[in-house]
Amino acid sequence: MGISTTTTPFLTRVKESEKDKFMQQAVAKAQDAQWDKREASRKELGHWQDWRKLGEQIRQHVIHYLPDYLEEFADNVEKRGGHVFFAQKDTDAVEYITKLAKEKQVQRVVKSKSMVTTEINLDKELLKIPGMKLMETDLAEFILQSDNWDEPTHIVFPTLHKNRDQIQKVFEKLGYDGDNDPTHMARFAREYLRRYFLQADMGITGCNFAIADSGLINLVTNEGNADLTMAIPKTQVVVMGMERLVPSLKEAEVLDNMLARSAVGQKLTSYCSFSGEQVTGESDGPEDLHVIILDNGRSKALGTPFESILQCIRCGACLNVCPVYRHIGGHGYGSIYPGPLGAVLSPILGGYDQFGDLPFASSLCGACTETCPVRIPLHRLLIKHREVMMDKLKMDKPTTREIMKTVGLGTGTPNLFQMALEFDHMATRMFVSKKPTTVQNLYNHEGHITWAPSIAKGWTDVRDAPRPPKHTENFRRWFQNFEESKEAVRHGK
Amino acid sequence: MASDNREEFLNNIAEKAGRPRHQLAEHPFIPLNDLPETTLADKTPAALFDLAKQNSQSIHVTFQTADTAGLADLLNQDIQEKEAKSLLLPTDDRLAEYGLTNWMAGVTPSPTYWEPTGGREENIQRAQNADVAVGCVDFLCAESGTITVATTPGQGRSFHFLPTHYIALVPKSRIVPRSRQAMDWYDEEIKAGRLHTSNINFITGPSNSGDIEMVLVVGVHGPIDMSYIVITDQ
Amino acid sequence: MKVVVFSTCIVDLFFPNVGAAMVEVLERFGCDTVMPKKQICCGQPTFNSGYVVASQKTMRNEVDSLLSIDCDYIVGPSGSCVNMLHEFRMHLADDPEYSKKAEILANKSYEFTQFLYRVLHIIDAGAELDAKATFHRSCHMTRLLGERTAPFVLLDHVKGLQMMPLPHIENCCGFGGMFSVKEPEISKLMVNEKVDDVVSTGADILIGADQACLMNIGGRFSRRQLPIKIMHVAEVLNSNVDMSRVRYADTPAAV
Ligand code: SF4
Repeated sequence: MGISTTTTPFLTRVKESEKDKFMQQAVAKAQDAQWDKREASRKELGHWQDWRKLGEQIRQHVIHYLPDYLEEFADNVEKRGGHVFFAQKDTDAVEYITKLAKEKQVQRVVKSKSMVTTEINLDKELLKIPGMKLMETDLAEFILQSDNWDEPTHIVFPTLHKNRDQIQKVFEKLGYDGDNDPTHMARFAREYLRRYFLQADMGITGCNFAIADSGLINLVTNEGNADLTMAIPKTQVVVMGMERLVPSLKEAEVLDNMLARSAVGQKLTSYCSFSGEQVTGESDGPEDLHVIILDNGRSKALGTPFESILQCIRCGACLNVCPVYRHIGGHGYGSIYPGPLGAVLSPILGGYDQFGDLPFASSLCGACTETCPVRIPLHRLLIKHREVMMDKLKMDKPTTREIMKTVGLGTGTPNLFQMALEFDHMATRMFVSKKPTTVQNLYNHEGHITWAPSIAKGWTDVRDAPRPPKHTENFRRWFQNFEESKEAVRHGK
Repeated sequence: MASDNREEFLNNIAEKAGRPRHQLAEHPFIPLNDLPETTLADKTPAALFDLAKQNSQSIHVTFQTADTAGLADLLNQDIQEKEAKSLLLPTDDRLAEYGLTNWMAGVTPSPTYWEPTGGREENIQRAQNADVAVGCVDFLCAESGTITVATTPGQGRSFHFLPTHYIALVPKSRIVPRSRQAMDWYDEEIKAGRLHTSNINFITGPSNSGDIEMVLVVGVHGPIDMSYIVITDQ
Repeated sequence: MKVVVFSTCIVDLFFPNVGAAMVEVLERFGCDTVMPKKQICCGQPTFNSGYVVASQKTMRNEVDSLLSIDCDYIVGPSGSCVNMLHEFRMHLADDPEYSKKAEILANKSYEFTQFLYRVLHIIDAGAELDAKATFHRSCHMTRLLGERTAPFVLLDHVKGLQMMPLPHIENCCGFGGMFSVKEPEISKLMVNEKVDDVVSTGADILIGADQACLMNIGGRFSRRQLPIKIMHVAEVLNSNVDMSRVRYADTPAAV
């Protein structure tokens, strides 16, 4: 599906999400549960802030010397007998893989969860090959695929928006006749997918970390599907974003520990594997390994203030703490990369025209920045995006621009501000509501406002606004009086 | 298919970043702290054992112990409990070291082996058919209850994933504080050329998923349950 | 000790009660408060909206104005705005003259409760308020300024005040400056949950250290016609004060 999951405009998506009460409750519940698990697992590890610094250092170092690490990694993959293809664009990657599949007369593909293959729309392209059968084997991705390729809503929990009854319906189409018990449904998927695994002639995986000094691929899962994908088919394709490297197995070990704690509150996920092309004497594992290293717009972040987003290890913690994600869910973002990470990354990969709304869909609460295990200053990058759009590209409406300029002037020019303080009480008279308020001590100056024009309308659409005090009663005047009486007391003595 | 576009790709990155290539040799990665090594490193073997037990159990692993003399009995008991009709063993010298030579000859069901020259399809099929697999693993990490194992000709990748029930044998002396110590060992062995493997697995309990309403389901693609047997006198 | 009052535009525009309470508390504890007249705003409304160029003038005006009176400390009634004063070091880094000034400013600037607790070492400000209340923790004060302790310590010592824990205290109330105006649809979902959480505590009073959040949450209470009393923490600490109750801590807990 590419990065974009929809053509529906942002506001409409938000409104659609608002109506989806199951989704909202599911996300809120998941966030709350994850909050406890994640924080407990980090606390147990101890010195979390120092771990974060280490995680950041590893990722920053790799991004800083990215071409060198890529070169080292590619050399080592080739030394082990594998192939490396550098894909500038999504289409380059897809073309390479479909050509390979055709050459090898592949008919059965098994895939393990990979954001990057979704980004390049690989599944649908491969399925165009006559006779091709392809199976997503991660339970959640399998559910999405079986439900007519529904969109994922979370980078770690793609089916967060679906309840067990919906999943039961999806499985019934595949021949499932049990109840809606998650264990029973998971067992069904196990049996169903096991058949595919055993017949598969090509496995496709993503890559959590690529180990530069050994040419191995590090994958982490809880289900074990990635390992079967790497064990059974004779040909394996790895698709990785070009930034997903680590210097050695040791740094992979560090990040796997941080990833598991951040993503799911576990000390390690059930399976962390480090693997490459079959070695002489081994009987399973890929006899032919192809690693596709993808740019697809990532290099646009290099050398810019956005470079640090390439540090991301896709743990999803920023989604799990985000109050906006909590309410609009993954579909609200319209990108396969939702949440704070997505709001920073999607405009870089897909452009401001399509994803320019996302950086504004944040209250800048900083929960993402605080939780990010590799210390990406996410909320600052959102402000940076806003700056690029407003100050550099001037993408705002001329009226908004004028208003914001005025705000800038008013908050930067003492005389103008003084004037505003003189007249604001009077000026708001016509907006004062007649309805009494239920709130004490917020509206102390002859009423509150329930409707305001222009830019302030956004405020009053949702909540009442206070009315400014008379200029004789504002804080400045109060302080002046206070100072005078203080002065008087002083002289009196 | 050679990666003939590699130079172009890498040059583009260097150019966009505004940093020249080939700087790494002079700026190798030096970690800014030693938390991975020092965390839990001060624990005594007894404390590590307790920790390993507690953390294994918390990830739904059946944690058992036996000395070499009692190992065969424990295995028989476990295999019976699973009502196993088929048993898969690795071709691995460690089984003999653990005193299991006689047991292997007499155990019911009589075992099939993952064989170094047994063929791809055949070995995979054996693993697929196995109700129980008994594997020899390299380390048990106390912090997380993780067992680690490198793929060898006699114990392939699918060995650990396709069987329904999985039992891991690990000597008590191979309990380490964290995944770091295990990783350091692999890193060193590989770099020294002593370990030729295409695959290292860090396995932390049976496979599981929370994909359906975040309800934990244990046993998805990999084994549906898992036991660790720590051999106390090894 | 001389203290410059960093009034914040929102207090200047709407809430004299908050500014007055803060000044009265500070004076009670021996601060000689002064207020530079040319101060206006920390610049967040424009800066956070991406109008970084337009915010330059605002930020510089604030720096110059707050430093125009020689003082020991600068104290403001908003964790968010005080944090912005600290961030000036980052935002004015390109300008050698102003980055120096920003450094001086940052080193002197404290949020109100932070100042009482960490500089004056007060744990009981002598206040009394017979009520059941809950506290909304502002995101910027907690996460960016890093102050998680001071208001709680001070409120826990207010005589007669029963503090109820607020569920989801870590979640934003949906204010977010211009966000509340530009993205009302999302902001509404957020503030609704916050209102529900406050209601669930059974508290009669909602207290906060950032008046903007309170303006948002209180505004939603008003719109939903739900009863609540809104108080800034300075107002609470200025209630029925008995100086004989005042207590100081020798060692404040770590942040
Ligand atoms: S940005 Fe940080 S918190 Fe968000 S997914 Fe990436 S690594 Fe995790």
